[in-house]
Amino acid sequence: MKLLRRKITAAVAVAAALTLTACSTSEPTPAGSTELSFLTFETPALTAKFWDDSITDALKTVPNVKIKKITAPTTDRNAYAKQLQATGQLPDILASINPKDFIDANLLTAFEQDWLKANFLLPEANNIKGKTYIPPTNSQILPMVFYNKDIFAKNNLTVPKNWAEFMSVVTKLKAAGVTPIELAGAEPWSASMPLVGLVSANVLGKNKNWIQDRYAGKTKFTDADMAAAVQKQRDLIAAGAFASGALGVNYADANKQFLEGKSAMYPMGSWFIGQIKPDQAKSFGTFMLPTDDGSLVVPFNVGGTTAVSSKAPDVAKAVAFAKSWSLSPNNLKVLIETDGAFPMLKNVKLQDFGATVTPVFTDAYALVGQENTKVSSIGWVNNDDALPPGVSDLFYALSQQLFTNGDVAAQLSALDKAWDKAAGK
Amino acid sequence: MPSARRAARRPLGLAAFAWVAIALYLAFLIYPVLQSLLMSFTDRNPLRANSNFVGLENYRELVVDERLRTTLVFTITVVVVVTLVANAFGLGFALLLNRQSLNYRIMRTLVFIPQVLSGVIVAFIWRSILTENGLLNAALQQMGLVTEPITWLGSTQMATISLCAVVSWITIAFATVVYSAALRSVPPSLYEAATVDGAGPLRRFRHVTFPMIAPGTTITVVLCLITTFKLYDVIAVLTGGGPANSTQSTAYYLIQVAFTNNLFGYSSAIAMLLLVLTAGMAYVITHLLRKREGRL
Repeated sequence: MKLLRRKITAAVAVAAALTLTACSTSEPTPAGSTELSFLTFETPALTAKFWDDSITDALKTVPNVKIKKITAPTTDRNAYAKQLQATGQLPDILASINPKDFIDANLLTAFEQDWLKANFLLPEANNIKGKTYIPPTNSQILPMVFYNKDIFAKNNLTVPKNWAEFMSVVTKLKAAGVTPIELAGAEPWSASMPLVGLVSANVLGKNKNWIQDRYAGKTKFTDADMAAAVQKQRDLIAAGAFASGALGVNYADANKQFLEGKSAMYPMGSWFIGQIKPDQAKSFGTFMLPTDDGSLVVPFNVGGTTAVSSKAPDVAKAVAFAKSWSLSPNNLKVLIETDGAFPMLKNVKLQDFGATVTPVFTDAYALVGQENTKVSSIGWVNNDDALPPGVSDLFYALSQQLFTNGDVAAQLSALDKAWDKAAGK
Repeated sequence: MPSARRAARRPLGLAAFAWVAIALYLAFLIYPVLQSLLMSFTDRNPLRANSNFVGLENYRELVVDERLRTTLVFTITVVVVVTLVANAFGLGFALLLNRQSLNYRIMRTLVFIPQVLSGVIVAFIWRSILTENGLLNAALQQMGLVTEPITWLGSTQMATISLCAVVSWITIAFATVVYSAALRSVPPSLYEAATVDGAGPLRRFRHVTFPMIAPGTTITVVLCLITTFKLYDVIAVLTGGGPANSTQSTAYYLIQVAFTNNLFGYSSAIAMLLLVLTAGMAYVITHLLRKREGRL
């Protein structure tokens, strides 16, 4: 019996030891080298290979660093970063997170202003309280309205110049049996595109500081101009602008349907340019969602990828890697081609990247360089105009709710309450 | 034999396994529950190192949170529908498959497959079936039953119905297995006696089968209720809580509050509410069904 007891105790001890050692098996880091973790996320355009290649490329100029890639389980890397932080495992470098969520807790390292000024066209575009936590490497217009030139020509339509003309185009397309506007309505972020465009153009187009004024309590979602902009989305729904099953269509299916000519217009972020193949490009064009008076408003977002944790084991090396990644022409070339990214590097012109782009890209990119009314793309920017935690998601969901709930005032009032709660007022 | 000597004869070595099990239970269940309870009295934010004690503030918020109320109504609706459907169909399948041949054993195994697969995988499969261009619409259109695709996940009502159907599909598998086991425990002599007394199939079911499988009913109802109450994975993959937040369960909302709104303290209070509701409901229903078993 004694022997049996000893054997069992030994077996339990061995099992426990094996369990513990199994938790710590990983390749050793070479002597003198620092291992840094890098949180990434994958999309159809940003594949595992892209991230692996981009890490290899960035490491060329950063010696003695080993990168351990972590991939977020979904595209919501922001939520995953918070989960990791909650368990004391915040990655050292984080791709495309919302820095505003993290800086109150001093979890991120700001990049030096001199470096930003030396390398980027809009060095202050990602500023939050005067500091930049994500290098402003590229920009996006979101949304822009992609349209099918062949369908427009077939129905004798021209690009609408103001809201009345836009509604007229919708009515004519509907009468011709064509789905006027494609909507990836299944996911809140993609369903939000028309609403983001309407609010950015009609509200922020008139008051660029609307979001800061909302933080200061000077504006509200229930204000007349906001209510009028949101009502336009209801008008589109009532006019049958979207397919009856639009809320069941996911992003991939919406892309496919629009590219196959099953709908005439598609409000989407400029990253959709990357989905248009060169041989399709002649059939597609873009325009900005029109305002009432026809004035041009460009909903704009300066992006970037690499934020650096202030808790990294070697912050200087993590910053060096982040800088190298952000300035790598090879990385940006891929982003330009597959993600429609508009490069914002100061000393590198578009042609210097050697990227293959279509006229859809160059036409849209021209808007970035032109003097025009650029406003923050509401719910999408990562600077001082970022919305309080959780409010962007509610704003996205509003675009879906408008399909079944016509009480615009009540829904905007709920959004005001959520804002005040999230912003701690 | 004195009890002390009997105890001395027990294989004490096995106690090591019991201690491991108890340690795991304490570490991975009791400790997190207690930690969550403590956190529910704080304003803990996942991004901050420190938190403040806020007393019952988070529990006061539970009372006025309209979104929480909406998710509770949705969760209870799904729980009721899934429990009823799973039990009705599970019992039906178990009765149909209650034979001893190899074919029936294979069929019983096949019926159990949805329960073996993870909820995420099942939801992925169903999402590809239920999308506008999915398998179901293609089949219905091929058969000429519909001309336009049905938006199974595109309206609040249809998404709720689709979600209930998918969760029921998973749960029916479990119910079938439990009812199959319960049916096999019914002594054949009872059926023979009932037949001799002139009872037909319906009366045999009413007076023999139904009372004898009562413990199986209790197990199935209570476990369906508990698993559906904490539903998260299927929703996250199948509908993402949408459209327009219409298919958010309380468990799904809890995760959103924690990791999107950064309110760990409040989400812990929601978790406590969910725990109390689930445990309370499970206790009441178990108690009622046990009383029913006694009456039968």
